[in-house]
Amino acid sequence: MAAITLSPRAAVSAQRRSSQAALAWRRYKRNKLAVFGAGGVAVFLVVGLIGPWVAPQGYQQSNFLYANQPPSLRFPFGTDGLGHDMLSQVLWSFRNAIEISFGATLVSFLIGVALGLWAGLRGGVVDMVVMRAVDFMYALPNFFLSLILVVTLGRGIFPILLAIGVVGWAGYARLIRGLVLGMRNGEMVEAARALGATQAHIARRYLLPNVTNSMLIALAFGIPFDLIAMGALSLFGLGPRPPLPSFGNMIAQAGANVLGYPWLLYFPAGIFAVILLSFLFVADGLQEALNPRGGS
Amino acid sequence: MRGFAKFLVKRLVALVVTMSLVIAVGYVLMYYSPGTFFSSANIAAALGQLRIEDPSLYNQYLHEFQSRYGLNQPLITQVARYVWHSLSFNFGNSFENPSVPIMSQLQKALPISALLAVGSIVLAVVVGVPLGVVAALKRNTWVDSTLTTLSMVGQAVPAYVLGVILVLLFGVWFPGVLPVNGWGSVGQAVLPVVALSAGNVAVVTRYTRGSMVEALRQDYVRTAEAKGVRHRRVVMRHVLRNSLVALVTVIGPTFAFTIISTTWVEQIFSIPGLGSLLFQAFPDKDVPLAITSVYILCLLVMGMNLVVDLLYRVLDPRVKLE
Repeated sequence: MAAITLSPRAAVSAQRRSSQAALAWRRYKRNKLAVFGAGGVAVFLVVGLIGPWVAPQGYQQSNFLYANQPPSLRFPFGTDGLGHDMLSQVLWSFRNAIEISFGATLVSFLIGVALGLWAGLRGGVVDMVVMRAVDFMYALPNFFLSLILVVTLGRGIFPILLAIGVVGWAGYARLIRGLVLGMRNGEMVEAARALGATQAHIARRYLLPNVTNSMLIALAFGIPFDLIAMGALSLFGLGPRPPLPSFGNMIAQAGANVLGYPWLLYFPAGIFAVILLSFLFVADGLQEALNPRGGS
Repeated sequence: MRGFAKFLVKRLVALVVTMSLVIAVGYVLMYYSPGTFFSSANIAAALGQLRIEDPSLYNQYLHEFQSRYGLNQPLITQVARYVWHSLSFNFGNSFENPSVPIMSQLQKALPISALLAVGSIVLAVVVGVPLGVVAALKRNTWVDSTLTTLSMVGQAVPAYVLGVILVLLFGVWFPGVLPVNGWGSVGQAVLPVVALSAGNVAVVTRYTRGSMVEALRQDYVRTAEAKGVRHRRVVMRHVLRNSLVALVTVIGPTFAFTIISTTWVEQIFSIPGLGSLLFQAFPDKDVPLAITSVYILCLLVMGMNLVVDLLYRVLDPRVKLE
């Protein structure tokens, strides 16, 4: 009876083995809010893509005869003081919201990854200098630096996304550097190496999955954050230059005359809030699904 | 104690270096930005007529303006002068109100913003900690999941969106209950502080819940329970006390974001704080006022971080300052 046999339990678990992604997806689906959030984000992206085509009017088109109309069949979201159709304004706003929030996050991410990798792999003086810079950016309230940058760069889509993006990289740099250092000296990699795994195998099976998960989560938290910053620029008259409509401009302007024409606020503020919530639900769901050990 | 003095000196040097960099970079960026104070909408409208009718008087005026603010000196001199003056709290006058020192504008605006921000943090701790404790004790029940979801909503919606929703609520749907703009009475502070605090309450609740759950698993909790210490006492003395120490570290980053949110909320509720100075300064390219406001706001955040680090050390003797 000394023969080594596979225990039934091992056989069962071998049969049930499925890919990490499938497991993560199963965990994600269990979170109702995360599924709702994914739906919201999907709608956000689709409207951003087709919004300008399905909008009943161009964003510049106005009719003073129909200024400040409450919502009606003809103008479902009402009209503003210049006679712009608010539905069209909202539909057009999705596009620059996507461009700026995704673009700014990408800029931060690329700078952060580059600096984080450089610091983590090089070590020494480079590491020290980069981490000092990270501390510097961390200690400051970034939004005010974005304000100054928008004044310098201008109020176009690209300048704004740059102004938000270049001040937000510290978190990504710190994350990447931490991951690189953890990997280089971690027990998991050491064990794999001891078992005779090649460098390529370690990189593909051990390093990459860990890094991509953490990055996905960081990006999912970063996009809504940049969206908030973008909207806030409009409060100081530094959002996308009118006549281009944006959620921030609509909220800042409607806030000023909310008592007379409250419908100017219902839809822009409500939709903006739902978009932000959707992103946060997705980010939270991803964190739970991809990183089940962490979090509560 | 020597270690403490060394820590303090190191942090103060870092503070001065950081602030100098912020002022210098900010000034250079504003210097190279397109347009000037004179070409901004307000001034161009006021002086445009003069420029056409009497160009020599206009140029003389421009020249006087430039020499008064040192704008005709080389950039490096301007920057150095500016950094030195700011660090010694000698802010001079703004472009827009040459007769009013920026210092007196700050003296009016700063207490308002500070009151809003600190009030919101205090409210967040007072409301958030009990909510976090309840969520942790009732974890994995509907109470917990409701609180967790609510705190996610609070974190997702920025103060300015919440602010306009509150204006909608108390300005349009229930008018007369609470004032929705201005500053001066206690009632006028209620809605801005609520708008500011939702996010902070959410952060504190979430954090308290997390660290409570963590602490409840610790060995010393099991030991206390096994000794027969009453449950209530275990929660208050052993679990909550240890959780609260770590809460101090969350206050730092939370305060930074609260300062940013304060300037947003001030815009929504027409409050004459630091946010309103930013709003005056930036669109009109009023360089001294813009840089000074940003400097003071950054200083508030960095000062708070220093205080939090010191506090953490006092509360938790295991923490070593470096």
